[in-house]
Amino acid sequence: MSEHQDQPFDPNLPVRVDDAGPATGPNAGPAIPQRGRGRRRLSASMIIGASLVVLVFALALLSFIWTPYDPSVIDPAARLQSSSLDHPLGTDRFGRDTLTWIMYGARITLLVGIVAVGIALLVGTPIGIIAALFAQYPWGMWIGAVIMRANDILLAFPALLLAIIFAAVFQPGTGPAMVAVGIAAIPGFARVARSGTMQVLSSEYVRAARASNRSTPAIAVVHVLPNIAGMVIVQASVAFAISVLAEAGLSFLGLGTQPPVPSWGRMLQESQQFLSTHPELALWPGLCIALAVLGFNLLGDGLRDRFDPKMEARGDG
Amino acid sequence: MPVYLLSRAAQFAVALFVASVVIFAMMSFLPGNAAQVALGTNATPEAVAALEARYGLDEPPLTRYLQWVGGMLGGDFGTSYVTGAPITPVIMNSVQVTAILVVCSIVLAVVIAVPLGTFAALEQRNWIGMTISALSQVGIAVPNFLAAIILVMIFSLGLGWFPSQGWMAPIEGVGGFLARLVLPVVSLALVQAAILTRYVRSAVLDVMREDYIRTARAKGLTRTRALFVHGLRNAAIPVITVAGVQLATLLVGAVIIEQVFVIPGIGSELVRAVANRDLVTVQGIVMVLVMLVLVINLIVDLLYPIVDPRIRSAA
Amino acid sequence: MKTPRTTIWVAAAAAAALFLSACTAGASDPKGTQKDSMAIAFTAEPVNLDFTSTSGVAIPEALMDNVYESLVRVDGEGTIQPSLAKEWDISEDRRTYTFRLQEGVKFSNGADFTAEDVKFSYDRVAKDWKNPLKSKMDLVENVKVVDDHTVEITLQRPSNMWLYNLTTLVGAIFDTEGTADLANEAIGTGPFAIEKFTRGQSIDYVARDDYWGDAPAVKKVQFKYFKDAVAASNALQSGEIDIISNLQAPELAGDFQSEEYQIISGTTNGEVVLSMNNAEGIFKDKAAREAVMHGIDRKAVLDTAWAGYGELIGSMVPPTDPYYEDLSGVWPYDPEKAKEKVREAGIEGEEFAFTVPNLPYAQAISQVVSAQLEEIGLKAKVETQEFPAVWLDKTFTKHDYDMSVINHAEPRDILTVFSKDYYTGYDDSTIKPIAEKADRGTEAEYIAGMKTIARTITEDAAANFLFLFPNLVVAKSDIEGIPVNRVSDSFRIADLSWN
Repeated sequence: MSEHQDQPFDPNLPVRVDDAGPATGPNAGPAIPQRGRGRRRLSASMIIGASLVVLVFALALLSFIWTPYDPSVIDPAARLQSSSLDHPLGTDRFGRDTLTWIMYGARITLLVGIVAVGIALLVGTPIGIIAALFAQYPWGMWIGAVIMRANDILLAFPALLLAIIFAAVFQPGTGPAMVAVGIAAIPGFARVARSGTMQVLSSEYVRAARASNRSTPAIAVVHVLPNIAGMVIVQASVAFAISVLAEAGLSFLGLGTQPPVPSWGRMLQESQQFLSTHPELALWPGLCIALAVLGFNLLGDGLRDRFDPKMEARGDG
Repeated sequence: MPVYLLSRAAQFAVALFVASVVIFAMMSFLPGNAAQVALGTNATPEAVAALEARYGLDEPPLTRYLQWVGGMLGGDFGTSYVTGAPITPVIMNSVQVTAILVVCSIVLAVVIAVPLGTFAALEQRNWIGMTISALSQVGIAVPNFLAAIILVMIFSLGLGWFPSQGWMAPIEGVGGFLARLVLPVVSLALVQAAILTRYVRSAVLDVMREDYIRTARAKGLTRTRALFVHGLRNAAIPVITVAGVQLATLLVGAVIIEQVFVIPGIGSELVRAVANRDLVTVQGIVMVLVMLVLVINLIVDLLYPIVDPRIRSAA
Repeated sequence: MKTPRTTIWVAAAAAAALFLSACTAGASDPKGTQKDSMAIAFTAEPVNLDFTSTSGVAIPEALMDNVYESLVRVDGEGTIQPSLAKEWDISEDRRTYTFRLQEGVKFSNGADFTAEDVKFSYDRVAKDWKNPLKSKMDLVENVKVVDDHTVEITLQRPSNMWLYNLTTLVGAIFDTEGTADLANEAIGTGPFAIEKFTRGQSIDYVARDDYWGDAPAVKKVQFKYFKDAVAASNALQSGEIDIISNLQAPELAGDFQSEEYQIISGTTNGEVVLSMNNAEGIFKDKAAREAVMHGIDRKAVLDTAWAGYGELIGSMVPPTDPYYEDLSGVWPYDPEKAKEKVREAGIEGEEFAFTVPNLPYAQAISQVVSAQLEEIGLKAKVETQEFPAVWLDKTFTKHDYDMSVINHAEPRDILTVFSKDYYTGYDDSTIKPIAEKADRGTEAEYIAGMKTIARTITEDAAANFLFLFPNLVVAKSDIEGIPVNRVSDSFRIADLSWN
């Protein structure tokens, strides 16, 4: 049995670990650049990314304490206003304040991201680690292979397909949407965790640990987890960006967040009929989605540089 | 090599089988039933029960599963409850539409991304490379339906160059077919190109650090020439992987663009079948989609040894 | 080395070719349509062509009056007019109708239309139809062929409703040899035949040159189905279609305020009803329903949710029905009184299930309604349900809801919607005898009786009648003959012409 038979995404290939990531993967990392200049540039992307992410979190948290208006109050007299002192981002067709809705929408965006990524991370990472741990023993190879094959089958059910079916089974809504996105992201985490674990297991200090008869679970906890944590966090950041986009797309299809819950994707969808008369209704949620995705992607890039396995290996050596 | 092929084919068959069981099981959880939807708001319970019996919904699950799989093996996906028509032609037509759409998009994305990504890698230290990187980040962040809506506003409603929606089969008129293809393909391709550009750039950067490029340069080749002569084949692997994954994802992912442009693709057909609770059609479409994704993954796997001799020798 | 490079070049060349040819193709495509053809956008798509077995508005909308005809039809004012029957007599006891049929009428398959076809079609309703609307023909006792062009239909009892019902799809005349594959092939006597039915996308009609009546002005018509109103609006703006038959996003009408287009806003048979479960739960109590009646500002609902298009009617009767009466003033908007009623019913702050079908108008309305109810102290728990599948199953069939909102689009459906077994759970013991008496009586008695019924239902606060769904048509300004009001279940294309 060659390595490549059961793992076409082997990290030994020029495909980098992160490239084996999930389907839509806007997760191409900048390759390791030369230290001096590269560091500076990458930390710039990290700063921008982190600021955008913090901004989204701040909006969402602030909405729990204060918003300019009550999001559910309808005011026919104030409908479809442009920006003004009263309504900095204008109002929608129900006369609701757009800024308030943007702030509340940040909550759903984060909720979807956190739950989806949470599911994928908590299920995918252990699966990947277990597959890698089994694969090192001749008797366990087939278990590792079966796990990864099951993972491949899961990969054949993309997020949208799952979401369409889930929406039919459980009613369209935020819940089924985020679970579907989460399940679809499991294979990405499993692969990252698996290839990361395999790298760790082949490193010298683990060989040393094993020589001193440490048990496999102990090795997993002591050596594997801390060493792959970085890669998993990178994957999480990227998956977060994907789930923000997915929520928007699903809401556009009417399969995501349902009214009257404020969501950016839904706002964008509802703004369509006002594109020629009130384009700002599409502008604000569109901008928010784009900035949030950009933020999480840039943050992922920045983190990847920090946690890059090759850099780390160099450090260990 | 034959062993590799055989084991890969066996895995493929097992995956198909497992997927079919999963799909069939999922369908039994769908609430609402086809008979009720067909009969509408004034149906009596007796009428619903009678129609259920006619559809065979009252048979035991195992019987229905075997009938379904048996039919598919013979190329027959069954008959729709709702339309009363055979499903196979519906699936075939809509798969063709989506395949044209998606393949054109990926090809266009590759055509845009490979030169841009390579260029961005070669020029990584100056403003051109930086601009390309930044643009690709922005491109990824824009939802594709937003891109589609904006494209329609500019090129269809504004300039009147292309129709805003619709689909025409190539045999009905090549001009009309191409005119209707452009905006959806571009909407899909822009985002995919942005993603792919970053992978190409990253792959090229990796290759450029390899020893054989250094050797080639030491022999007097320019950086670009060394890359073109020795590096592209290696850089191709991640690009193929990603393009394959993109292709697989877009088969369903295109549904959003199909809805914007009213294109009768497989995703739209799926959404419609779900709405009608046309279970046999839903099952058939999901199965075909999953099968296509598995086939694409298989092809990508088989491409590696062809592109990269190192894998061939390893296998 | 060559492989990837060649591939890339081939791909690049292909893409370039695609772009160039597409651009030129797009540029040379004729904009607009020739003057003997027309493309019309619709929302609800027919899943097949057989309304005898599949319910829903889409199939009769496409086929009635265009492909199939009945003995009688209803005009824009709601008056019954001759169609395949030239004239008819009603017997003294008002139970027997004698129809004299048009002569020289042919079906689109070439067969002659005779009294035999009438008997065949109407006997078939009871025997073979699965569409629940077939109950409209339950009254028919006997269909007798007098001669080739005379037919006598006897009812079990006199009925004012029956002749009107005959204008709907249950009156459709089929050829004795033409019902083999109704789902895919529609053979009728109408002015158009179906040239091509592309499921889920479009229906192409072609005018028949052997039609018995006036030849339609437009020879080729396409019905094109758009789930998304924005796509339909784009298609009209870029000249790919000529008419949007009913704009499902009324805010878009603003885009067509120019000389190039006409916007027609008339009435339909669709009452948008905020229905309440009268039989069970929080709204079993009349005081609770009265709170909802006083607590909702219907004008605000109409203005915000449907851009002010539509009409406030306050009852289950559209203005085109003979027994219409404006009842919009019975329950004025009065939040203070509503709060009082909430206290009276003792339901302050209580949560109830508001099931909303995932249709544009319903989702928009639900947001306004739940906000207004919150102001009077009622808490709606909004649950979006997929329409039709889930809504039909849970709300409609299982009555598992407290409040819902839906457009009841069937013509003259007041008695159906407000009956005990229907999802409204309305106690119809008062209105039932009135209805039976009215149906048997003279026309004047019928109208008076139905008016009483409509008023009783409204005064019982059985449901909140939000507004009458508008017939909002947007079309190119040089099209004539678009009916202002939609009074029947069909969309007549024979009336349309280019100016």
